[in-house]
Amino acid sequence: MTPSAKTLDTHPNAAKIRITYNDRVVRQFLLATLVWGVVGMLVGVLLATQLAFWQANLNTSWLTFGRLRPLHTNAVIFAFVGNMLFAGVYYSTQRLVKARMASDALSAIHFWGWQLIIVAAAITLPLGFSRGKEYAELIWPINIAVAVIWLVFGWNFFWTLRRRNERTLYVAVWFYIATVITVTVLYVVNHLQIPTSLTHAYPVFGGVQDALVQWWYGHNAVAFFLTTPVLGIMYYFVPKAAGRPVYSYRLSIVHFWSIVFLYIWAGPHHLLNTALPSWLQSLGMVFSLMLWAPSWGGMLNGLLTLRGCWNRVRTEPVLQFFAAAITFYGMATFEGPLLSIKSLNALSHYTDWTVGHVHSAALGWNGFMAAGMIYWLVPRLWNRELYSKNWAQMHFWLGMVGILLYVAAMWVSGITQGLMLSATKEAGSVLAYPNFLDAVTSTRWLMHMRALGGALYMAGFILMGWNIFKSIRGAAPLENHVEVVPEPVEAASRLGLKSGFLNPPVLYSLGLILCAIGWGTLSGLAGGLCLWGMIAVVVVTLIHKEVTGTLWTEWYDRLLANALPFSALTTVAMLVGGVVQLLPTILMDKNRHQEGINMEPYSALQLYGRDLYVQEGCYNCHSQMIRTLAGDVLRYGAYSKIGESIYDYPFQWGSKRTGPDLARIGAKYPNIWHYHHMRDPRQISPGSTMPAYPWLFSKEADLSVLPNRIAVLRKLGVPYPEQSDAEILADAKADAERIAADLGTAGAPINPNREIVALIAYLQRMGKSNARPLAEAPTAAPATK
Amino acid sequence: MSEPTMENTEPQEGLEVLRPHKFDGIQEFDNPMPNWWLAILGTSIAFALGYWAVMHAYGPGIEPGKRLTEEMALAAQEAAKRSGLLTDPLLWKMSQDQAVVNNGRAIYAVSCAPCHLPDLAGAIGPNLKDNLWVHGGNPMAILGIITEGVAAKGMPTWGPMLGRQKIAEVTAFILSYHKEGEPVLPAQPQAQAR
Repeated sequence: MTPSAKTLDTHPNAAKIRITYNDRVVRQFLLATLVWGVVGMLVGVLLATQLAFWQANLNTSWLTFGRLRPLHTNAVIFAFVGNMLFAGVYYSTQRLVKARMASDALSAIHFWGWQLIIVAAAITLPLGFSRGKEYAELIWPINIAVAVIWLVFGWNFFWTLRRRNERTLYVAVWFYIATVITVTVLYVVNHLQIPTSLTHAYPVFGGVQDALVQWWYGHNAVAFFLTTPVLGIMYYFVPKAAGRPVYSYRLSIVHFWSIVFLYIWAGPHHLLNTALPSWLQSLGMVFSLMLWAPSWGGMLNGLLTLRGCWNRVRTEPVLQFFAAAITFYGMATFEGPLLSIKSLNALSHYTDWTVGHVHSAALGWNGFMAAGMIYWLVPRLWNRELYSKNWAQMHFWLGMVGILLYVAAMWVSGITQGLMLSATKEAGSVLAYPNFLDAVTSTRWLMHMRALGGALYMAGFILMGWNIFKSIRGAAPLENHVEVVPEPVEAASRLGLKSGFLNPPVLYSLGLILCAIGWGTLSGLAGGLCLWGMIAVVVVTLIHKEVTGTLWTEWYDRLLANALPFSALTTVAMLVGGVVQLLPTILMDKNRHQEGINMEPYSALQLYGRDLYVQEGCYNCHSQMIRTLAGDVLRYGAYSKIGESIYDYPFQWGSKRTGPDLARIGAKYPNIWHYHHMRDPRQISPGSTMPAYPWLFSKEADLSVLPNRIAVLRKLGVPYPEQSDAEILADAKADAERIAADLGTAGAPINPNREIVALIAYLQRMGKSNARPLAEAPTAAPATK
Repeated sequence: MSEPTMENTEPQEGLEVLRPHKFDGIQEFDNPMPNWWLAILGTSIAFALGYWAVMHAYGPGIEPGKRLTEEMALAAQEAAKRSGLLTDPLLWKMSQDQAVVNNGRAIYAVSCAPCHLPDLAGAIGPNLKDNLWVHGGNPMAILGIITEGVAAKGMPTWGPMLGRQKIAEVTAFILSYHKEGEPVLPAQPQAQAR
């Protein structure tokens, strides 16, 4: 079985060199995948249990839903899929470019560095160190470590490409290149921040800017961390395992470039019907729809590669997992565009439907691709047959039933929540289910189903871990090597950076894209000219093609022999969308009124309370964004305006409403209501799922951090008045004493220096933007007037 | 363990083009892209351009907030037309109707009891069964307070949450603890538990 002494198909008499692959690092990443996979899923099952039984929060700060959910998402994305993709990339790249990884030291630093980061995340997140941005919660020192280790990986990867003995790049490597470049850009931009201490920082973007940057990152973490590298892995491992050629090379080309170009634009579909400017919402929607075909291109190339060996799919676990994974990929990438349609999103957003959608992709696509890859790799890395094929098959069915149970539960629950929370009566002037808890209690049984589904999936995964353990126990690691004939790129195929861009297909594409952007952004004559420019470019391209009879295949073959121009073109394709969408919002003047409102900065105590809100992860269950939808406005008050959150660092618009929206919770209830509610939510809201927060009543607020935090916010452009440190602290203390006195009058005496007092100060401020100089935002629904 | 190889892979139907190059043994066909797939790609691009043209480039633009406000104003008018006129005597009459009071009791238990307590004795919100009223104790006054709320005190604006029908039922339920013609005494707001 070992690929040792494989011969090359060309130049049989040329001088051969012997290459020993670095499979040690592959083995390490593979085992880490198994370990972190179990950890991530275990936390997931605990969270699912907490949604079914609030008691599972165990009244302990570091085990509450708000702190653990970031651990679950980060563990599954960066620890489980991260280690899996590194294993796959290291294994396949070395073989596809016929070279050992350039540096064993860099490979080792990458592996151990990444594991250290995961351990740091697993410690800091439960302790409440969080940036409050989804899948980007880790605090700034860890962010720097992630960036450094990612660059180590990138350096190692590109260095290996440079030392390759294979003339041209296979499609899997294209996807790896896109991954390395894009993740770097996304990660750095979304983690720009100014530290206020060793463990706390404010992001440089606030409000709508932060929302846009966050979901540009969040959506493309899905695209370039969970999808493109795994597509690359599919392109290597599926044909290898099936023993069949890839279905279509030209489909690879079209779907690769369209994915790289289009994906980056789709981020705003996470912000549909919100205060985000409507042109961005429309871009988010139409680009998501355009992603349907490119995504399905990957599915087609995967499934059709299995033509001719479907009989083996029935019996071989590896192919079984791959076929199911690719099918789930197709399902999730169909559901994604569907959920990006504004009107459907009005129903699905903030509900469990989204949760079901990501889990069908994470469990089905990522989890099953990982399983197929691991079952295929283990015999080739340890030179041992798999201990039990039956166990692997049992894993498959446990996983399959688990996913279906989970996803079906989330569909029913999500649609129920969406329908109940938006249902109106009396000509649309009244909510049909005014009590938010109605939707919570109606879907509680589905929380049990999802916990069961998740547990089944995890059981299958643990069975795989045990199977692998039995397989490799006592096995000697295999040092795979191969003899290859180096294939240097001939001089005729050399393509410089400049000639990579200055050629018809690239110029036509760029011309078309620029004209389209011009048409979209310019008005009047200039916009019209751009429209004609688009038509002209298409016509010229067709004529050129017709006259010369070329499809530029030779040019593309040449490009594939030149990693640098290829990577440069990938970078440009990936950057366009981000630049067009982010720049106008980032450059806008935050101090101008936005929709008639520009919030006053938070008072010192309110700011402290807000940082607690972020630390406790309240955004995991509560949004702060009343959408432009009748159901939202009837339930929560006037729809949110951009100006109301413009000085929010970070933004907390949220992505899921396990509890109600909080954008206008301020002054809705007296202080004592919040006091009792935070202490025991069920005393006030029978049937609530919310954890109790007893520690907020005993922990002291460390107000001394405030002067520094306010100084940083001032630097970021928040118009805080000039105040001395002493004045800031005195303000905060006076505020706290006022609230504590009010609580005391209401029969709940409390020391003003407790955290709960600061949190109440923040909660009572929400929705009270103190608009300048226009009147306060109307809090009552227009319908009642 | 047998390693499947691609050595003996024959292109199907003799029509498929197999690219000669092998990457670690992997070969690629160069099949045409399926037409239905190209159709989805083309249609979605055409839709994107068309949507942008109609909605943004040449259309009136999208102002979701403005559209929503208009829709909701219409809905409110329509609802007001349908609900008819409520009066003090009518509400007193409703408070004698056991079916109406039972409906009101159910709504009260969910929406009001957390602050006013199940027995109306008052805790966070004022007592509702004595004769002291902070904001007026006539049936229409009670109905108005429930509808509009008292922002300063934390009494929510129930109008859009419950609607006129349910608010009338809750009012009838509260009135069922009282008698028509009994004194309505003004209460000092400070004296009320808050």
